Amino acid sequence: MASKGTHALSLRILAECKTTKARTCKLHLPHYVVDTPVFMPVGTQGTLKGLVPEQLEELDCKIMLGNTYHLGNRPGHELLKKAGGLHNFMKWNRCLLTDSGGFQMVSLLKLAEITEEGVKFQSPHDDSEMMLTPEMSIQIQNAIGADIIMQLDDVVHSCVTGPRVEEAMYRTIRWLDRCLKAHQRPHDQNIFPIVQGGLYPELRKKCVQELIKREVPGYAIGGLSGGESKDDFWRMVTLSTEYLPKDKPRYLMGVGFAVDLVVCVALGCDMFDCVFPTRTARFGNALVPTGNLSLKNKKYAKDFSPIDDQCPCSTCKQYTRAYLHTIVTNETVSCQLLSVHNVAYQLTLMTGIQQSIVEDRFPQLIQDFFDKQFPDTDYPQWAVDALASVNVNIKKS
Amino acid sequence: MKFVVNSVKSGGCRLGVMSDFGLHGKKIVETPMCMLYTRRGSAPHLTADMLKKIQWLPPMAQMSVTNMIEHHEAIEAYKQGIGKFANMKDYIVYTALHDPATEVMSGQNDTATVGVWSKSGKVRLDVEMFVKVQEAFKPDMYQALSDGDTDLKAGKKRTNKSVTRTLTYLDDILERLPKSQVLKDAAIFGVIEGGNSEFERCRSARETASRDVAGFVIEGFHNQGPQTELFKISDIRDIFKTTLECLPEEKPRLMHGAFPPDQVLEALELGLDVFDSSYPYHVTERGGALVFDFVHIADPEDMDGNKAVQKGWEIDLNDKKYFEDFGPLIEDCSCYTCKNFSRAYINHLRNTSELLGSVLLMIHNFQHYFNYFEAIRRALAEDKYEQLKTHITKQKKYIRLLTLTFILSQTVYVAVQTESGLRQWP
Ligand SMILES: [Zn+2]
Ligand SMILES: [Zn+2]
Repeated sequence: MASKGTHALSLRILAECKTTKARTCKLHLPHYVVDTPVFMPVGTQGTLKGLVPEQLEELDCKIMLGNTYHLGNRPGHELLKKAGGLHNFMKWNRCLLTDSGGFQMVSLLKLAEITEEGVKFQSPHDDSEMMLTPEMSIQIQNAIGADIIMQLDDVVHSCVTGPRVEEAMYRTIRWLDRCLKAHQRPHDQNIFPIVQGGLYPELRKKCVQELIKREVPGYAIGGLSGGESKDDFWRMVTLSTEYLPKDKPRYLMGVGFAVDLVVCVALGCDMFDCVFPTRTARFGNALVPTGNLSLKNKKYAKDFSPIDDQCPCSTCKQYTRAYLHTIVTNETVSCQLLSVHNVAYQLTLMTGIQQSIVEDRFPQLIQDFFDKQFPDTDYPQWAVDALASVNVNIKKS
Repeated sequence: MKFVVNSVKSGGCRLGVMSDFGLHGKKIVETPMCMLYTRRGSAPHLTADMLKKIQWLPPMAQMSVTNMIEHHEAIEAYKQGIGKFANMKDYIVYTALHDPATEVMSGQNDTATVGVWSKSGKVRLDVEMFVKVQEAFKPDMYQALSDGDTDLKAGKKRTNKSVTRTLTYLDDILERLPKSQVLKDAAIFGVIEGGNSEFERCRSARETASRDVAGFVIEGFHNQGPQTELFKISDIRDIFKTTLECLPEEKPRLMHGAFPPDQVLEALELGLDVFDSSYPYHVTERGGALVFDFVHIADPEDMDGNKAVQKGWEIDLNDKKYFEDFGPLIEDCSCYTCKNFSRAYINHLRNTSELLGSVLLMIHNFQHYFNYFEAIRRALAEDKYEQLKTHITKQKKYIRLLTLTFILSQTVYVAVQTESGLRQWP
């Protein structure tokens, strides 16, 4: 079952759902063993919302993200190399994944322009023209030293249509070959190609077919979660997993809302990331099985219960909603406390899913999850359709 | 609360013990002592779990009425006091009137009320309301309502008024207290006012001392906030001394504000017992790490202490020179930050305005400052205070300050230290 080959990764499938495309696996990476399906919190600049690595370990977080664009800017890859990589710099001994920097560049910098050579952009510091080539992206990611790194892809907004999408898809494949050639550390870093093709099923299919010709340790599904309709979104996800080989991990980029996680696990994805849980913490929002609590709201002023009495996190064990209400958005401590809870919420959701797949009761978990999230049974239609496509019919009880 | 002065040491420093606290009867506090500074009940930037990583934490936390007044109804409904409400139930709680790290605006008080500013605006605090709030907070120790709106430049009339009003508030509170079941075990601290007037200071001290109070807060020399860091005890030495001479020996004296290491010693010599830790908080807010040395005073290899003498109290982690410095903040520091993280990493966190930078600096700075108080108590007990003082004074010589810019509306200010433009400070 394990596929090792020349890669610094192996995937052991523990159980497959008998109804849906979901599976639960042990993903062996250089720094740690990760249980999938997994949610990866995003620590953009080598730190996550004021938490020390020890706090993430206590939450049993096994892999987190860093952003190549930000880290390449500050502190820069030269320094990270001197520091012995990002792991050592930030004292995180478990797994890291870095993106390629391309997406951040196109979305954060107005003047980014994509040419065959790479992404041309204006330096945010001195307006000089700079270029991020596939080779350079890999060079930076090699210096950062994450367990999983991403190829540079030609990013097109998910609502763009026409020949540009096809061009981007083929360029992504050409850039993959350049990235693979530039990769200096295949023995301890795993490079993932990215499935592109916009919302065109034929292009997506073609892209996957091209990618699987290359010897790579896993795959990312990109170009989604950028404002396209949810209906298009889930169809592209399920189509991508349909053609990807089963013995390698599938990472759905930028997806992390609870409902999306549950549905996309059912569609066969293994790895997810999203800034939302920690970003929303800063604004005083706590994630709970029924949705989210805005702790700024006065109705919590005299509520002396924890955020979620079922939650195992240290925030819920020690702090009341009433106290959090007095400090949210005023004191930085609240940001840490809510980040701990929100990361715990995401990770608990995923371990619950893993367990249910092993015990072959994932469809029941889906039903329970939707009952709590949508007590009025106003299930989003796209989710109902997506789940029906993998034989789960959530019932309006 | 009970307080005993066990001995008076070199230059007037007192070694004492506080015990028999209201809600925390079994706890014992050795003085001189520095309370844990909190904001809205939590240590700045630190969750309860992170706070536990600090060694030499004091057993007492200082909380402020100003910080939490808008929530007093919720805390009253909670019924178990502000300490437990804020997940700080193991701490002896002292409630101050104002936040010592925030400047108190002038001109807010009148005969019957003290104006305090909360997030939702100005609250007029009269005696009735004050007692109600304290009954909700249930502190072990609290500062009486006071009009401390004076500084060294305050006029005669204002100074006189602040003393008279503060005494009136105290009398009204003491009259109201027998009706309060909740506050019967809480220790009330009378407040000594009087600006820069020796006459008013002595009147305030004598009158307050004649009332039934457990200790004294010395106030009205400044308006609190970050600029108290530049306040020089030496400027008020005589009047301070005369004031404290009017107070009974056997009750503790407390003063709010930021005390750099040399100022702590000066205040101790005048007979102060209790401090707050707003100083390490200010240092943290500007991205500094305390590095002054108090450990190597007895190093036989280093008789004159020059080896361990630091050039100034702190280093600036915003400075580019730490970009590639993979060493800890202090080489042999045993704090959580120094054991795990490098100057380069903290410099990166400061550059990117990441929260973790404040967390890591706060841990180091608190531990360093609390450890300093431990070292002072030890030095006093072992009759090594003079060596410690010499060692600290040596480092003071090196403080270089080119500019010190205050942003008065905030608790944040920026200290720019450069290699050039050396200037002796003070
Ligand atoms: Zn929780
Ligand atoms: Zn330290």
